[in-house]
Amino acid sequence: MSEVLSLRNVSKTFREADGNLLEVISLRQFELGAGEQAVLVGESGSGKSTLLNLIAGILLPDKGEIMVNGTNPTKLSEAARDRFRAANIGYVFQSFNLLQGFTALENVLLGQMFGSANGGADRAVQLLKSVGLGHRLQHKPRALSVGEQQRVAIARALVNAPPLVLADEPTGSLDARNGVAVLDLLRRICTEGKHTLLLVTHDPQVMKSFEKVVRLEDLR
Amino acid sequence: MNLMKIVMKNMRQRALATWLTGTSVALGVALAVAIVLIKQGVQQRFEQGTLGYEMVVGAKGSPLQLVLNTVYNLDISPGNISWKLFEQLRADQRVKLAVPFSVGDNFHGFRIVGTTDVFFKDFEFEPGRKPELAAGRIFTFTEAALKSAFQEAEQRAKEREAKERGEEVKSAPMPEGTPANRPFEAVIGSTVARETGLQIGQTFIAAHGVQPSAEAKEHTENPWTVVGILAPTHTAADRAVYINLDSFYHIEGHEIRGPTAPVKAEEKDNDPDPGQVSSIVLKLRSPIHAFPLYREINDRQDAMAAFPAAEIRKLFDIVGNIDRLLFAQAILVLIVAGVAIAVSIYNSMSERRREIAILRALGARRATIFSIVLLEATTICVVGAAAGLLGGHLVVAAANGALYRASGFVIPAFHIQPLEWYILYVAVALGALSGIGPAWGAYRTDVAKNLAPSS
Ligand SMILES: Nc1ncnc2c1ncn2[C@@H]1O[C@H](COP(=O)(O)OP(=O)(O)OP(=O)(O)O)[C@@H](O)[C@H]1O
Ligand SMILES: [Mg+2]
Repeated sequence: MSEVLSLRNVSKTFREADGNLLEVISLRQFELGAGEQAVLVGESGSGKSTLLNLIAGILLPDKGEIMVNGTNPTKLSEAARDRFRAANIGYVFQSFNLLQGFTALENVLLGQMFGSANGGADRAVQLLKSVGLGHRLQHKPRALSVGEQQRVAIARALVNAPPLVLADEPTGSLDARNGVAVLDLLRRICTEGKHTLLLVTHDPQVMKSFEKVVRLEDLR
Repeated sequence: MNLMKIVMKNMRQRALATWLTGTSVALGVALAVAIVLIKQGVQQRFEQGTLGYEMVVGAKGSPLQLVLNTVYNLDISPGNISWKLFEQLRADQRVKLAVPFSVGDNFHGFRIVGTTDVFFKDFEFEPGRKPELAAGRIFTFTEAALKSAFQEAEQRAKEREAKERGEEVKSAPMPEGTPANRPFEAVIGSTVARETGLQIGQTFIAAHGVQPSAEAKEHTENPWTVVGILAPTHTAADRAVYINLDSFYHIEGHEIRGPTAPVKAEEKDNDPDPGQVSSIVLKLRSPIHAFPLYREINDRQDAMAAFPAAEIRKLFDIVGNIDRLLFAQAILVLIVAGVAIAVSIYNSMSERRREIAILRALGARRATIFSIVLLEATTICVVGAAAGLLGGHLVVAAANGALYRASGFVIPAFHIQPLEWYILYVAVALGALSGIGPAWGAYRTDVAKNLAPSS
């Protein structure tokens, strides 16, 4: 199984407001294979979101090697890294994923704007249908429930068929029943499309449903 | 999905600020365009208006007043000059054409101008363009009738003076050519015809004074008969009523007044003044005669010459200063509008950081985010400016009504001036300038921080 994600000796240090240095990430090795689905857990403030941002190329590590789908995005120029992210990484956040002025469909189409791959509007519509929002295409975020908004975000994250999907507590702002539904949906689509999934959660129920559970502390 | 669509959505998200700032750009541009169009248009029309009037001669006073009164039928006549001077100038070798005008009455606010048939036969508003009749004929004019009108008017003046001294006056027999057999005929301008509805064969009575006023009493003696209607000339002639000079002097109150400049007694006795006119328009055989003749006339005690083109240029040099002040004001409005755009976009940035971070996470480059904000400011400016250009033209079109009533001409309101392209460039620059600060802020948005749910 070839690796879609591989991290080696990655560290990230922040300078806090009081001037002290805070080493948030210090990680020896971490790998995910193609189509693999893993959950990342850790204390609040342990650096889970920071790690996802490092993988996405939104933050740069102080040192270490990050490989995504065979490319080291940290070696690219910033603009190239942005384009690489658009094509290779789908990102779902805890809440407020969507741009308020745009309809559900437009929000998904936004995902197609910056990458090189272009599935066209058909793929966007088809994805929205597969997350059960075929009848909500022209609704603005305000007219959608929080669960529906998360499903739009999932459709958008997958619109470019990225090899790697990052999800930072995607069910964190949903009630248990909706959380399960959204999570099942995300996992089903990732399984079908053979997308590698790395998902951050605090929810023990969610953890239990994954075969591969990674504790951030254990990666030190 | 494209950048412009994102820009439009953002603008709609903060619709009120977009409208307000766009409107202030439009106001500034409309103001600038209207000022320029009106100034250029009025100046052009005024300068064109002087083409047929190489030199005007009138009573001593303000040359500008003389020009405004003679060429544009504006202002009041500065006074009269003697008919003798007219005859002298007409006979002068250097003079190609001399046309006399007398003013002093109005009909429904349209100025009544006494002149001779020369005005219709030989005068040209500009080279090759003579007054043309749309209907009817020109009035009958003979110099004999004019002479007798002068005599009669002088006689009436003498009688009145005598009455004032308390002497018993016996009405002397009228000279040859009584009012009854002297035709009271008028040729009216196209606007006069349209607005008063006067038609050929109809008669009207004049009111005294060049402007209509409450006290103006109507001349009751003799009505004029309309014998001709001029085709539109797009000059002050459209708003004038032309009557033959002899009938003009038959109007009560148009007696020969004393000369405006003191004349030596013996001179007056030796060579009595046969009559008077308000002004004379001259066309010269060659431009080289202009200055010598101008100096000769201005050396006289009783008359003055003026070059209409020069007077109008002087007038617009003065107007130009006011004009520049107004233009500066328009620029100020635009600068304030630019600042308002910058501030309003800046204020929206705190709400936008989240969305910018999402776009970046989706793969948007910093430069793309920068362009989105810059485009937003520029779009407001360009659309505002385009609306302002249209608005400026509409203002001119609306102002044309008032302008027409005052001067008899209109400004071409919908001619695109080269300046307008320049204004659009300025709008782009203004948009870029006002957008660059907020765009820089957007460019530097910390993505990781703004993706965190707490923000
Ligand atoms: N730009 C930054 N400057 C300074 N400190 C930062 C910065 N970004 C994150 N941190 C700190 O790094 C630590 C890890 O933050 P991070 O958001 O990655 O934690 P997390 O594991 O995602 O927490 P949670 O479970 O609450 O989401 C925190 O202590 C945070 O305060
Ligand atoms: Mg987090």
